[in-house]
Amino acid sequence: MAEKTLDCLGEACPVPLVKTQKAMESMAVGDVLIVNIDHSCAMKNIPDWARSVGHVVEIEEVAEGEWNIIIQKMK
Amino acid sequence: MSDTTITIKRSTPKETPEQRARKRLIQFIASGVVLVLYILLAAFVQTKNPQGAFILLIGLGFGYILQRSRFCFTASMRDPVLTGSTSLTKAVIIALAISSVGYMALQMKATGLSLEKLGTDALKSVTQLPGHVRDAGVHTVLGGFLFGIGAVIAGGCASGTFMRMGEGFVQQWIVFIFFIIGSVIGMAVLPAIKSVPFLYQATPVYLPKLLGGWIPAIIFQFGMLFILYIIADIYGKKKSGEL
Repeated sequence: MAEKTLDCLGEACPVPLVKTQKAMESMAVGDVLIVNIDHSCAMKNIPDWARSVGHVVEIEEVAEGEWNIIIQKMK
Repeated sequence: MSDTTITIKRSTPKETPEQRARKRLIQFIASGVVLVLYILLAAFVQTKNPQGAFILLIGLGFGYILQRSRFCFTASMRDPVLTGSTSLTKAVIIALAISSVGYMALQMKATGLSLEKLGTDALKSVTQLPGHVRDAGVHTVLGGFLFGIGAVIAGGCASGTFMRMGEGFVQQWIVFIFFIIGSVIGMAVLPAIKSVPFLYQATPVYLPKLLGGWIPAIIFQFGMLFILYIIADIYGKKKSGEL
């Protein structure tokens, strides 16, 4: 089970999502992707997308205004 | 499959509880200072405009709701394409329906129930009505398209940019500077665009006037919004695999 971190700090709304979608493509089922974000909008649309695809998503606030979105690829 | 039990690793927090408590204290003090400044600003605006403080208060409430609800006009048009999620699209359609009710009430008061006041000296053009009845045409479509590209790249439309400036996202402050520059350029080239008949049609579309009365206009307005809502709902469900 591989784990990958994607640094999206300082990137505005659609960019973290597109990067996440690209990163997920290259990963195997069961792998975990951790996305670092600080744009509040990405906190909504990345989990929205990942859940709609069927992955497992968790959000953690690691610092004030900084979050980690942890996605496990399920299919 | 044995590994369906979800074992998502928890990442370690970047801040110690002490650092976090310190930041909370700074936030608390800063919000107190901003509140005092806001009240002073309201008191000042009130001397210039009798409704000034009230408008500021509405703005504060609007910003609060925008931030808490993650409501975003840009995302409402972008997310259906990008993620297939139409929850914000539906939210915007509902918001349009609610604001339509308010504007209809204000406009009915101005035009009269059978549009008898329209065209009189007091109300020569529909563009004088509350609710931004404006010229519609090729320029509307072109402008909307350009604005949409800009908003998606910049990460927010006007209200979204303001909201994220407040959240402390630095990129949005840069966006704001160019937002002003763009608006100034827009105002400067507007007369030139207005002089080209292909680009600018000076024809305000006002549904009650076009359809000959308030009843058909109301049916058309809410009917269209309802159809759009149904389309957004079906599209969203299809994309998420519920249908």
